[in-house]
Amino acid sequence: MRKVFLLALRDLRLEVRDRAGLLSVLAFFAVMLFIMALALGPDEGPLRQAAPGVLWVALAFGSTLLATRAFALEVEEGTLDDLLLTPGSKEWIYFGKLLFQMLLLLPLAALALLMAAGLFYLPLERGLYLFLTLALGVLGYTSVATFYAGLLARLRGREVLLPLLLFSLVVPVVLAAVRATTGLLEGLPLAEVAPWWQLLLVFDVVYLTASALLFPVILEG
Amino acid sequence: MTEARKPHRPDALTWGLLGLGLFLLPAGLYVALTAPPDVNQGFLVRIMYLHVPTAWLGYLAFFVTFLYSLLYLFRQNPKHDRVALASAEIGLVFMGLALVTGMLWARPTWGVYWTWEPRLTTTAILFAVYVGYFLLRGAIEDPELRRKAAAAVGILGFINVPISYMSVKWWRSLHQTQSIDLTTGRINMAPEMFQALMFNLLIFTLLYLAFVRFRGFLAEREAGGEEAEALGLEARKEEA
Repeated sequence: MRKVFLLALRDLRLEVRDRAGLLSVLAFFAVMLFIMALALGPDEGPLRQAAPGVLWVALAFGSTLLATRAFALEVEEGTLDDLLLTPGSKEWIYFGKLLFQMLLLLPLAALALLMAAGLFYLPLERGLYLFLTLALGVLGYTSVATFYAGLLARLRGREVLLPLLLFSLVVPVVLAAVRATTGLLEGLPLAEVAPWWQLLLVFDVVYLTASALLFPVILEG
Repeated sequence: MTEARKPHRPDALTWGLLGLGLFLLPAGLYVALTAPPDVNQGFLVRIMYLHVPTAWLGYLAFFVTFLYSLLYLFRQNPKHDRVALASAEIGLVFMGLALVTGMLWARPTWGVYWTWEPRLTTTAILFAVYVGYFLLRGAIEDPELRRKAAAAVGILGFINVPISYMSVKWWRSLHQTQSIDLTTGRINMAPEMFQALMFNLLIFTLLYLAFVRFRGFLAEREAGGEEAEALGLEARKEEA
């Protein structure tokens, strides 16, 4: 457990010190939301309707930018093999990287939500529930993204391959997250939104367990 | 090379399955074309005898890929990877056929070729997942890493199959619910039609088995070629 936190904190420190990655993802969110808002026209109705879809697509794209970074430094510096040399099981590497991604992505996602709220006339009264949806969706997404990033870390052309593989696999997560967000924004009663949360939770658990179990097998040669 | 036997042509069982499947295929078509028309859909229902078996085979093939991907990860035997590859390839073809036949049926029935309905969407996603499977295989040069990565996609991708299968029940929309419900074992169709469908399912499964064995054999030869090439390269390097 300690190893997981240490790895996540180390990566986080490196990432914050560098800032280039963080800022580029944030800028990406801003530009993407802005362009979409511009493309969808000035009317309030259509904008509000499109907002959940736009938000989640932006999150999906933005987080692939981050996902490759989780392992990019390790490969560049040749430290991945050092990590693998530590005794014991290897799941902790996966969880460490996952935690690092979550810690980066959650604040960014919250910022993206605020930006979307500003640009797409979204009501934020149920901000807490919206954030819960964000957390569940981002977790499902990141669990697969981290796994694939580790798998593809040593390959050339991983930046293109990762989104290709990832998007088709996490569509269920994005779909459920969009539905839940739409429900919350349209002011549906929580009882009608809850099934989507359940579905998200199921995806999260399935993807997390599958990825954590497969990860050590894939990474060890 | 650990295997002592080096087959130069597919074995008798493969040929037998293929022969039987191809031999029965016209009979299956005959049964499908003479089955009674449906009360609501009329003769259109006959697309079902092609549509359901292809979709079923797609699911079955992806399940086999899932199974052999798991086996590969535990045993590290390239043979298992070749079966997974063969099955995924055939599954992709059949899934594509299921999508096409579904679209042909949808146009006269629903008035459109394609609609963003859960069953259709999840099936298209499933298709995309296995397209990714082959993109990944094509992108990795190191054979061992390729096999491992492919196995991972084969396992994770399979999660979408039950979602696709259950989608008609979970969302209850435009698409027909299952005529043969595997979760409850209930059959919602006339016996003549059911028999015709079952017959066609059987034929397609036979063909699938034959195709998998055939493709597996081809993959084995390809792998052999790849190995020989690598050996040749090394030999040339030593000479130089």
